[in-house]
Amino acid sequence: MSIVTVQLGQCGNQIGQEVFSALCSDIRGTHGLCSKKENGSYQDSCKERFFCEEESAVPVARAVLVDMEPKVISQTLSMAARSGHWKYSSHSHFCQKQGSGNNWANGYSVHGPRHKEAIMNLVQKEAEKCDRLGGFFTIMSMAGGTGSGLGAFVTQCLRDAFPTSFILNHVVWPYGTGEVIVQNYNSVLTLSHLYHSSDALLVHENDVIHKICAQLMNIKQISFRDVNQVIAHQLGSVFQPTHTAGGGSGYSRNPLGELMESLVPHPEFRMLGLRNIPQMPESSLPYSTFSWPGLIKHLRQMLIANAQMEEGIDWQVRPPSSIPSTNKPLHFNTSIANLVILRGKDVHGVDLGSFQDPSLYTSWLNPQDAFNAWKTPRAFNKYEKSAALVSNSQFLLKPLDSIVGKAWNMFASKAYLHQYAKFGIQEEDFLDCFTTLEQVISSYTNL
Amino acid sequence: MRGQRREQHREQHREQHREQHRERGSALPAAVGALCRALPPRARPAPDTLRRARFDRPQASLDFWKLLYVLLKQIHGGRWTESDAIGAQVSFVKWALWYHGYGRPQLQRLPADGSAGSRELLLAFSWLLHSPGLLEQLLARNRVQPGDQTSVCTCGDELPSSQEGTSEAGPEERVDVRYLQWLNGRLRLQWCSLHAQHQEQCKLWYKIHLFTSGSHMDQNLGHFSVTETDLIRQPENYKQLLQLLDSETKQLEAFLEWKQLEPVYWQWMETVLDNMAEEGNMCESQNVHVEKRRLPEATPWAAKLTGQMDRLSRDLVALQEHLHQLVAQRKAAWWEKVATREELQKERFSATARKIQESTELKLRGLTSLCAPKKKMHGLCRLVLRSKHPAGRMGFGQCGSKEAVAAVSAAEVITELQVREASLQRELQQLRQQCRHRLDGIAEGLEGVICISP
Repeated sequence: MSIVTVQLGQCGNQIGQEVFSALCSDIRGTHGLCSKKENGSYQDSCKERFFCEEESAVPVARAVLVDMEPKVISQTLSMAARSGHWKYSSHSHFCQKQGSGNNWANGYSVHGPRHKEAIMNLVQKEAEKCDRLGGFFTIMSMAGGTGSGLGAFVTQCLRDAFPTSFILNHVVWPYGTGEVIVQNYNSVLTLSHLYHSSDALLVHENDVIHKICAQLMNIKQISFRDVNQVIAHQLGSVFQPTHTAGGGSGYSRNPLGELMESLVPHPEFRMLGLRNIPQMPESSLPYSTFSWPGLIKHLRQMLIANAQMEEGIDWQVRPPSSIPSTNKPLHFNTSIANLVILRGKDVHGVDLGSFQDPSLYTSWLNPQDAFNAWKTPRAFNKYEKSAALVSNSQFLLKPLDSIVGKAWNMFASKAYLHQYAKFGIQEEDFLDCFTTLEQVISSYTNL
Repeated sequence: MRGQRREQHREQHREQHREQHRERGSALPAAVGALCRALPPRARPAPDTLRRARFDRPQASLDFWKLLYVLLKQIHGGRWTESDAIGAQVSFVKWALWYHGYGRPQLQRLPADGSAGSRELLLAFSWLLHSPGLLEQLLARNRVQPGDQTSVCTCGDELPSSQEGTSEAGPEERVDVRYLQWLNGRLRLQWCSLHAQHQEQCKLWYKIHLFTSGSHMDQNLGHFSVTETDLIRQPENYKQLLQLLDSETKQLEAFLEWKQLEPVYWQWMETVLDNMAEEGNMCESQNVHVEKRRLPEATPWAAKLTGQMDRLSRDLVALQEHLHQLVAQRKAAWWEKVATREELQKERFSATARKIQESTELKLRGLTSLCAPKKKMHGLCRLVLRSKHPAGRMGFGQCGSKEAVAAVSAAEVITELQVREASLQRELQQLRQQCRHRLDGIAEGLEGVICISP
C-alpha cells in the first residue's frame, strides 16, 4: 500500500523533504526497541508506503514536486541526494521560471490550467508505480501564492482524476503576524476550495510550532528548517506503520483509509489537528524517562484544554459532568472523533479508558464510534515512548474564526480585490468561500 | 373364479418383484456405494444408514439428520461444527427443505430431537438428489479453485420500491441526522478502500498472467492461474494440491458411476414409497393446521416475500384491466373516426395505412427489445488474459457457478455496466431534482428561511 506525496510550493517542498528524511532516518536507526522480526516488518511496511525500490541503490521517494520557481526544487533535490540514504526521482518534479507573486488567483486560474497536464502526468506515473494506491498526501502552505492557489487547483484535479482515492491535505497555517498582506484572503480561498475536493485537512500552525521550538526544543535562533523538522517529526509519528484494530496481525495496509474512516466520515467536519508528546531536544533524550499513564494524562488534558504542547497546560479545564451541551464550559474543547497513536515499549498494556469518556465527545456520537487507537511496539525516532493525537475537534475553531474575521474586514473595505479580479476571481467567488467557511465554523461551534 | 385369477395375478406380481429384487440386490450396493463416494469427503453416510432408513429404524435418524444438515449447510454456504445441537440441526434441515420447495408435511412434523423419521429423511434425501441437483451443486462448490476468479453480476436491481417505509419512522427513536451522515460517510470510505483492494488484486493478477503467458499447456488459456503459479514458487505444496485434486477426481469418477447405476436406486426408492403408502393409510394426520403456523417463524423474510408477490400479482391484474379499458376506449374512438371518413379516396387511405403499419412495427420492435430478457450473467468467472489487441484485453473463461455462462469478454461486461451506471445516474439526478423541489416548496412555507440547496 503506497502513498503518493505531492509537494506544492516552497513550503510544501521544504517540509516534504524533511518528512522523507525523518522517515528514512527512523527506519535506518537501530533503536527500534523491539524484536528483529517486528523491526523488519516495520521497515518493509514503511518502505512500501513511501519509497520505491527501483534499480537505483537507494530508495526513491514516491513524490511529485511542484513549484513555479526552480530554486527551491533544486535545493530540495540536492539535499535529499546528499543524505546518501534516499533520493527523489529525477523525473518527478515540475517547475517554471517565474513565481506567482503570492497571488492566489494567479496560481489557481492561470498556472493551474496551463500546467495541469504536465503535473497530472507526473502524478499518474507515480500512481501507476504503486501496486496499491493508498491515497494522496499533499503538502502546502495556505498563505502563499503557488502552494495555496496552485495547490487548491491540483487537489481538485486529483479528485477529478481519482474519484475513489483518499486525499489528505496537509496545510500550514501562516503566522498571525505574517509578512504577506493578503494571506487571509489566500487562506480563505484555499480552505474553502480544499473543503470541496479533499477528504481531510491536517493543519499545522506556524505560531504553535514556533513556540514548541522555543520552549520545548530550546532552540535560540529558530530557522524554518527547525520548524520544518518539528512538523516532520509530528507527521512521521502519524504515518509510520502501526497495527490498527481491524488490520489483522500485520501492519496496516490502509493507513489513509483507516484514518479517514475514524475521523472524517462526516462531510462537514474535515479539519484535523495534531498533537504529539513528548517533544524535546535530542540531547535530552537519554536522560529522560517516560511512563504511559503520564503521557496519556497529559495528552488528554491537551485535548480538553486545547493546549498546543505539554507545557503550560491549563489543568483547571474539566469535561462537563452530565449537564446538557448548552452549558459546556467556555474553554472546553469538544471533540467529534479522536485517534491516538502509541509507539514504543510496553504499548499493549496501556489503558486508554480516559479517552473513551462520553463527555469528551459531541452528543450525537458515542465513544465506540468516535475513538480509535493505533499501536506499535516499535519506537519512533529515538523516543522510547511517544504518543500522537489526531483530533477532529474544536482545536481550529478559534484560528479559523479569526482568519475569516480578518479576511471579511478586508473584503468589506474591498482592499486588494483587484489583484484577484485581474485573474478571474470575482467578488461572488469570495462570497461563496465565505459562506462555506461560515458554515464550517457554525457546525463546529454547535457541537 | 375371479378371486382365483386375482390370486394368480398377485402371485405372478410377487414373483416378478422377487426376481427384480434379486437382480437389484447386486446392483444396489454398487449404486449406493457410488453415491456415497460422490458426496464430499466429510459428509458421507455409511452405506448401511440408507438401508436402515428404508426400514425406518430410529437409530438411523440421528445420522440422517446430521447428514442432511451437513450437506445443506454446504449448499447454503454456512459453517457447521461437530458439536452443533441436534435441535438446531433439525430446524435448519426443515427450513432448508422448505426453502427448496419440498412440500411433504410429514417431514415438518418429525420430532425436534431427531429420534424418529429416518424413512422420511431418506425420501427427502432422494428428492434433493433429484430436484435441486444436490450432488451437482456440491461438486461445483468443492472444486479446486484456480485462484483468479472474480464475480460477475449483471442482474437487474432488486431495490425495494420507494413508497415503502417513508412514513414508518417511529417517534420513539430519534436519531440525530448528523450520526446518519457519519455512518453514510463511513460506508462510502469503506467502499473506497474495497475498491483500492480490488484494483490491487487485478494489478497483481495481470502481472501473474503477463509473466507466465506462453507457458501453459492448454493453448486456450495460455498462462498460469494463481494456484499454478503458487505451486511453482513453493513446490513443496504440491503434495497438498495433489491430494485435493485426487479427492476431486475420485468424487467425479464416483459421480459418473452413480449416473450409470442411478435407475437401480430409483427403483429401490419406489419400493420404499410403496411401503410407505401401504402403512400411511393406517395412521391419520392430526396436526395439519400446525404446519401453516410454524413455517413463517422459521423464515422471517418468507412472509414479506409472499406479501410482495401478492402485491405484485394484484398490481399486474389491475394494470391489465386498465390496459383493456384503454384499448377498448381507443378502439371505439378510432372506429368512430373511420366511420366518418369512409368517403376518403382509396389510395390516400392505403398510404396512411402503410405509414401506420410501419410506425407500429417500429414501436413494437422498440418494446420487444426493452422487454426482452437481457443476457444475465451471474456467478464466478475465471479471468483469462487474451491479447487480441496489442493493448491486451482480458477475457473471461470457464465459469464455475451453477449457471453456465459462456465465455464473455470483459469489454462487453464493462460496456453493459457503464450503460447501467449512466441510467442509474440519470435516475439519481431526477430524484435529486424532485427532492430539491420539495425542499423549495417547504422553505417557501417557512418564514425568514432561505434554502440553499447543495
